[in-house]
Amino acid sequence: MRDVAVVQARSVGFFAALAPRGKAVFFALAAVAICLLFAFPVFWLILTSLRPGTGVYYVHRGTEFTVDNFHEVLSQDIVLRALLNSFMISTLATVLSLGVTATSGYMLSRFKGPIPNAWFSLMYIFRCVPYVAWVLPLYFVTQQLSIFDTYWGLLLPHIAVHICFFSWIMKGFFDGIDPSMEYAAMIDGCSRWGAFWRVALPSAIPGLTALAILCWLYTWNEFLFALILTAHETPILTVVMAQFVHELGMEWHLMSATAVIALVPALIVTLFGQR
Amino acid sequence: MAEIVLSNVHKVYGHVVAVKDINLAINDREFVVLVGPSGCGKSTTLRMIAGLEEISAGTIAIGGRVVNHLQPKDRDVAMVFQNYALYRHMSVRDNLAFGLRNRRVPAHEIAAAISRAARILSIEPLLDRRPHQLSGGQQQRVALGRCIVRNPKVFLFDEPLSNLDAQLRAQMRLELKELRLRVPTTSIFVTHDQTEAMTLGDRIVVMKDGVVQQVGTPLELYRKPVNRFVASFIGSPSMNFLAVNVTADGEDFTLACQGWQFTLPSRRFPDLASRIGRSVWVGVRPQHIRLGAPVSGNQVALKGTVMVTEQLGDEQLLAVRLGDSEIRIAGVDPDLALATGSQIEAAVAADNLHFFDEAEEAR
Repeated sequence: MRDVAVVQARSVGFFAALAPRGKAVFFALAAVAICLLFAFPVFWLILTSLRPGTGVYYVHRGTEFTVDNFHEVLSQDIVLRALLNSFMISTLATVLSLGVTATSGYMLSRFKGPIPNAWFSLMYIFRCVPYVAWVLPLYFVTQQLSIFDTYWGLLLPHIAVHICFFSWIMKGFFDGIDPSMEYAAMIDGCSRWGAFWRVALPSAIPGLTALAILCWLYTWNEFLFALILTAHETPILTVVMAQFVHELGMEWHLMSATAVIALVPALIVTLFGQR
Repeated sequence: MAEIVLSNVHKVYGHVVAVKDINLAINDREFVVLVGPSGCGKSTTLRMIAGLEEISAGTIAIGGRVVNHLQPKDRDVAMVFQNYALYRHMSVRDNLAFGLRNRRVPAHEIAAAISRAARILSIEPLLDRRPHQLSGGQQQRVALGRCIVRNPKVFLFDEPLSNLDAQLRAQMRLELKELRLRVPTTSIFVTHDQTEAMTLGDRIVVMKDGVVQQVGTPLELYRKPVNRFVASFIGSPSMNFLAVNVTADGEDFTLACQGWQFTLPSRRFPDLASRIGRSVWVGVRPQHIRLGAPVSGNQVALKGTVMVTEQLGDEQLLAVRLGDSEIRIAGVDPDLALATGSQIEAAVAADNLHFFDEAEEAR
């Protein structure tokens, strides 16, 4: 009998070829690269906001820094109004849409029948229509309803979009909560509504908070609806920022300063929500 | 007084009948177990009593009052769920207090009820913890505590032990029995585990396909099962069944299947007269079969081949081939060496034979 040595061809993996701890080093480098990719534009934005108007194209060479850009934008009445409007609309849109989203997500998760099915289908259809396609019709609708360039004119479309999008996510949160907890509450003296309000909703708070942050940031950063559905009466920060590009040139330094100011509330909301 | 009366209770989901025409009277302070395989309608029945499911037809009365249209909160029942269903955003103390606060019980009475329940269940050190910080057994005790503090008319248990491991389940069974003595309350306990049913119930209701098969004390069900389903469901290991043909042989009946034949005196088994010429199921519990030749004329002999032995320490279980059937024998001496393929002789007392017609289960 002849022994045949069978040498199995083993593929040498990428990480196996690296030196010991090479895998860890590789992932560390990759993580740093990805962080830089996202952090660098913010860094450049902050740098630009601190440069005088004449120096924005030579940021890498200049040594002159100033906070005058911030003084200038904050002295503009329209920027201050836009800050307030954006904050109010983001907050109101978050509160109002989450109010509907929580109940609608709960209904989709817990109830079966024609009404939840119809509601689900309706949202599905709305989600299938491209976002951009709503803007022009909404312009005419808000004109007709005389709510163009008002809080409601911008709030209602935002709330509608949020409800369609977040009800699905909210349904997922409630699907993850055991319904027998609500049955226990109903036996313990709660009505169906009481069981939702006192047991299901408090259990969904982590999910609800995450949605609130998403919702707030989405509205705060949104540009298209704000551009089409508002004018001089209700200036919105994202639109005001874009208006630093005009026929006489581009005021990058002012735009950057406004953008940096806009970053601050977003940062606070995110950090606050995470707690 | 909190007796529960179910009259012609029916539950239909679309075209599916989940519970069919149940009639059941549960006495005050009685502990009744609903047992059956998955989908037999036992949990649905319990949920209808709790008010969590609408009743399609019939009436349910608790303490003499028809509760069909009452909300769960107005039925004065408390329920323990399979997964405990503790309010996870509240401490154990708040979990216990929740039901009482909803009923606007004064704070000092709530505190007293909580400390009494915590003492009974030995959960005093856990009162300030959250449910996720508790083990399965501790969560189960808290769920029981939530029932006790309310002092309701009825306790409902929906498979409360099935999420626990075997050891803890046995311990909780004992604790539940002790709890019954300390807090005597009308109780309905749903389980698919016949051991829980046998050990806990004053009476057991065996259900299958939405229909009650038999209601009786644990011993009644064990000794006098009304049909093959109940006979096979109650008792562990399960009862053996052999299909035999009944023929008249003078004063006696002869029962025969392939590889086995025996005669029974007709004066002692008059019921078999109506089954002459038909095929019936003979049921024998594994525990009622003894190894060795019959020692009296009252015993029936069995001869077969050992297929498998299972050593349990205090006894052996045998799987024995008998003609073209296989039967199980329990309670065999653990020191007895039995090789696979060896021939054995065994005997069973004729009084321990059960006879079932085919397809006689209630539907």
